[in-house]
Amino acid sequence: MTTDHRLLEMQGVSKQFPGVRALHDITFDVRAGEVHGLVGENGAGKSTLMGVASGALVATAGQVQIDGQPVSGQPDRARELGLAIVRQEPALMPDLSVAENLYLGMPRARRPSLSGLNDWARDLLKHWSDDVAITPRDQVVTLNPEQRFIVEIVKALACEPKVLVLDEPTEHLAAEDVERLFARVRDVTARGTAVIYISHRIREVQKISDRLTVLRDGEGQGTFEARGLSEDRIVSLIVGGELDRTFPAKAVDGDRATVLSTRDFSGPGFSHVDLDVRAGEILGLAGIDANGQREFMRALAGIHRGTGDVRLQGKPIGIRSARQARSHGISYLPGDRHREGIFAELPVRENFSIRSLGRDATAGLVNGRCEHRRATQAIRQFAVKTPHAETPIQSLSGGNQQKVVLSSVLAARPQVLLIDEPTQGVDVGARAEIYRIIRETADSGVAVIVVSSDAQEVAGLSDQVAIFSRGRVVETLSGERVSEDRITASVLKSTEQRDKDYKTVGRFWKWAAGNSAPLAMVGLATVLLGAVAGLSNPYYLSGGNLNSMLTLAATLALVGYGQQLLMMVSGIDLAVGPLMGLCQIVASFFVLQELGLGAHFLGWILLLLAAIAVGVVNWCLVEGLRMHPMVATLATYMAVQAVSLILRPVADGMIDGDVMIALGATIGVVPWTFIGAVILALVMEFGLYRSGLGVSMRGLGSRQEAARTAGIRPKHVRLLAYVGCSVFAGLAAVTMIAQVGIGDPNAGLTYTLSSIAAVVIGGASLFGGRGSFIGALLGALFIVQVNSVTVFIGLSQEWKQYLLGLLIIASVALYSKSRQKVVPV
Amino acid sequence: MTTAVHETAPTSHGGGLSRLSAGLFNEFSWIWAALIVLFGVCSVVTPGVVRPAALGSLLPFAAILAIAAVGMTVVIQQRGLDMSLPGTMTLAGLLFAKIGFLTGSTLLAVPLTLMIALFIGTVNGLLVARVNIAPIVTTLATNAILLGAVRTVSGGSPMSAPSTLAAFSHSTVLGIPMTLLLALLFIVFISIVTKRSIAGRRFVAVGQNPAAAAAAGIPILRYQVGTYAVAALCFAVAGMLFTGFIGSASQTAGNDYLLPAIAAVVVGGTPFSGGRGSVIASGVAALFMSLLGQMVLALGAETSVQLLVQAIAIVVAVTARYLPDMWRAMRG
Repeated sequence: MTTDHRLLEMQGVSKQFPGVRALHDITFDVRAGEVHGLVGENGAGKSTLMGVASGALVATAGQVQIDGQPVSGQPDRARELGLAIVRQEPALMPDLSVAENLYLGMPRARRPSLSGLNDWARDLLKHWSDDVAITPRDQVVTLNPEQRFIVEIVKALACEPKVLVLDEPTEHLAAEDVERLFARVRDVTARGTAVIYISHRIREVQKISDRLTVLRDGEGQGTFEARGLSEDRIVSLIVGGELDRTFPAKAVDGDRATVLSTRDFSGPGFSHVDLDVRAGEILGLAGIDANGQREFMRALAGIHRGTGDVRLQGKPIGIRSARQARSHGISYLPGDRHREGIFAELPVRENFSIRSLGRDATAGLVNGRCEHRRATQAIRQFAVKTPHAETPIQSLSGGNQQKVVLSSVLAARPQVLLIDEPTQGVDVGARAEIYRIIRETADSGVAVIVVSSDAQEVAGLSDQVAIFSRGRVVETLSGERVSEDRITASVLKSTEQRDKDYKTVGRFWKWAAGNSAPLAMVGLATVLLGAVAGLSNPYYLSGGNLNSMLTLAATLALVGYGQQLLMMVSGIDLAVGPLMGLCQIVASFFVLQELGLGAHFLGWILLLLAAIAVGVVNWCLVEGLRMHPMVATLATYMAVQAVSLILRPVADGMIDGDVMIALGATIGVVPWTFIGAVILALVMEFGLYRSGLGVSMRGLGSRQEAARTAGIRPKHVRLLAYVGCSVFAGLAAVTMIAQVGIGDPNAGLTYTLSSIAAVVIGGASLFGGRGSFIGALLGALFIVQVNSVTVFIGLSQEWKQYLLGLLIIASVALYSKSRQKVVPV
Repeated sequence: MTTAVHETAPTSHGGGLSRLSAGLFNEFSWIWAALIVLFGVCSVVTPGVVRPAALGSLLPFAAILAIAAVGMTVVIQQRGLDMSLPGTMTLAGLLFAKIGFLTGSTLLAVPLTLMIALFIGTVNGLLVARVNIAPIVTTLATNAILLGAVRTVSGGSPMSAPSTLAAFSHSTVLGIPMTLLLALLFIVFISIVTKRSIAGRRFVAVGQNPAAAAAAGIPILRYQVGTYAVAALCFAVAGMLFTGFIGSASQTAGNDYLLPAIAAVVVGGTPFSGGRGSVIASGVAALFMSLLGQMVLALGAETSVQLLVQAIAIVVAVTARYLPDMWRAMRG
């Protein structure tokens, strides 16, 4: 099968990140029909190399050719040329269905028609496995990590790529799916596809690969025929004879008291862990990422809930929260520094003192001088390079940030110190200092547990090492046996398989979390309210009342569509209310009885232009000046209202009566405007699910980064949303003319809040990605219904408000709760 | 992260000075400069506005706005927004008047009203932090409920304020209006609490990065809920003072304060990104915006122009703070 045709060629590729050389002069090629294994330790540069190949990263030097065509930093082009990549973290949009994710994952030319989308997707999933527990309509957010990974693989295979990159594909997969994956890999290579297989697991790589290339510290160690290499030889190539980093001397043997011990300790991602750590000792936890070592540590830190027996100094303790862990003297240094370690915009001083404020305080008040002295002392002691203690921590280098967080954790004077990835993103110089600090801490009698994906680091630092695989401790090493080779070998050779795990969710919650639940519930509530009102007061069903209700609902629905459009991409527009007033005022200067048709026409055009202009201004403020959407549209709210008041200080300018009659025309009791609003809702809803633009919009709101990978341009889509929102507000203003009939600057103001209420009741998420135009329509009907019904069943005015408020809270709380239920932990 | 890495070693002798200068000159000091400049401009262009008599009538309202803005600031520091300001403020004014008349005791009316405000804020906070409803939606809904309650309490007609409160609101200490003194007290107290107390520091940390705060063992729910409670207290105090100052509890008292309060926070420089913030800056900005409005009016412009100027002030205030970043980005 293997031919000499080179589908991917990389020549002398180097990649430099600020302060780090990730790749150095790598030459690498993959032939048609071969599986090429790429192995190396964490941080060896495997993923960076593939990032360069896929165009996600631009090489500092060197060339990349896919099927003979040069590419450099263009993910779209790499994809069109036939490169598909399965990432460790699937690039999926959580609020979109499986089918829609598959659709957006295709190169444009290969995308199917959206009408047969689900059948197309079902075929693809079937092709993966006959009993796959994923349906095309499932929202990705409801899938567990394993299922998401399968979707990612199916997506890549569906592109029928020339070059397929699999980045650590078996980490999330159960045994039968690993077999399935291997079978597919053999299928595609038989058809001439080149496959790049990245993995830590040497046995897997050996089993599937024809050739393999070893990377170490960003340098190629050569390409070999896979059959001709022994496992031990591969391990030694990966580890290399690199210079030993300087680690401080280990603990001297002696009689030490056990500080912390766990028996049969289980939690999310790990099970039945029995470990002891003694005073003055460093326990290293090693293993391939996501094999339970980190989860175990987080359970000890009180971030995840664990079950089992945990003893501190021999006494059983409960760790139900991070606060409780802290009160037991357990301090935790998180691995994801940006997300959980630092308070980016706060000064170094506050980042340092936050975990030990009690030491500076008397009667709850922090003594600034004492805090400052402690902070500067820590800066000196840990050799943190910072201009002064008041510098925001985000402007420090990674290593210095890490030293600040470490000093902060230590300042809390823990009995047990938990450190996740002590030197991730830390420059080489700072590493040795961090190792020294950790060892000194242990020497002072603290029990230290370290998680690291760097085997050399674990070996150099630890007195004892526990190897995790698939959530269990498979081996413990101590004394002489703590060496990098031993750790790497036992990590890489472990073949324990992950069990399939499925979370069962009640049918009601699954339904309630779907897109149709809000529609059904709001629709039902509206009908029920109507029935109550109709039974208790016959006038409710009179033509006049129904007509006026539907007229109001049409206006509210239209502005709601605008709000919904914007919320779909995580925006919000507070200025719609004043804009509606402004549009009406524009009309009140031109659409007058005494002026001719030409002036009328000009008036309508100007109305539209005013709306578009406001939309563009909003977009400029948000995208150009990076203002928060709420602040930006608050400013335009005031500005638009000001312009309205300048044009019409008091209501004036009667609109042409004929126009008003035309706008108020009805069929039976149903106004035309309402029919128009219903049709628009249906068309927009159809477009949202059945047009590329609609799906892209939902994808962008759902997860911007994944959407960008799928070739969606956020700025353009958002411009469309902002202008669209304003145009809908303009349209709503036109229907409002039939109700108000005069240029009144205050006519639209209430619509800002009621439009937000309508879409939120209709099931929209303020964070984007979820929502429905039909939902907005029903939400509008519901609000009008509540207002009307309270009058007709003889409730006093205040009930209008009570009902509206309570029903908003009830509906949104239900949506929020149902989402929490179905999202797997 | 596009921020530069500083390579300078720490210097011990410069520590105290740098601490002082960092405390005095930061992103929140702009508003002081702006206020001084505005004051200067006013005294030249519209000297009438800065005469003691004119200031005497401006300051009480600016002070009430400042108190409301303080409440809004703490919520925005927690990445939220409290749209229930109008409802809380109006209801507090009404309840205060009502309880005052029913019990005949202002001393009893104040704590009772504050307790109700505390309850409102706690409900808001629990809905946001526990039930996970977006702040703007939560507070929009509770505002609707509160406006319903306003109708229930008032029965649809305004109520006159108890005379003791009216007298209190109008009283002066050494020529300084009582409302202004209260506002200063509020601002200074909350500023000291957030900057100097353990609870306040943790509050800032939770706002800046809830995940990191949780990992550091801070009980974040308590702080998130407490924030809305404090905000509701601020709004309630503003509402009571307003009632006292105009002599009657109207049903719309709070409506005119929502947007100006948010505007004051934005102009004061508290960002929507959470954590950092300054109630002092918000208070100064409240005065700035009030004075700006008066100046525009005194120049003979309509209220409409006043609104336009305020909108421009918001955009300028936000962009001005980006200028250093943009400058750095252009050079880098």
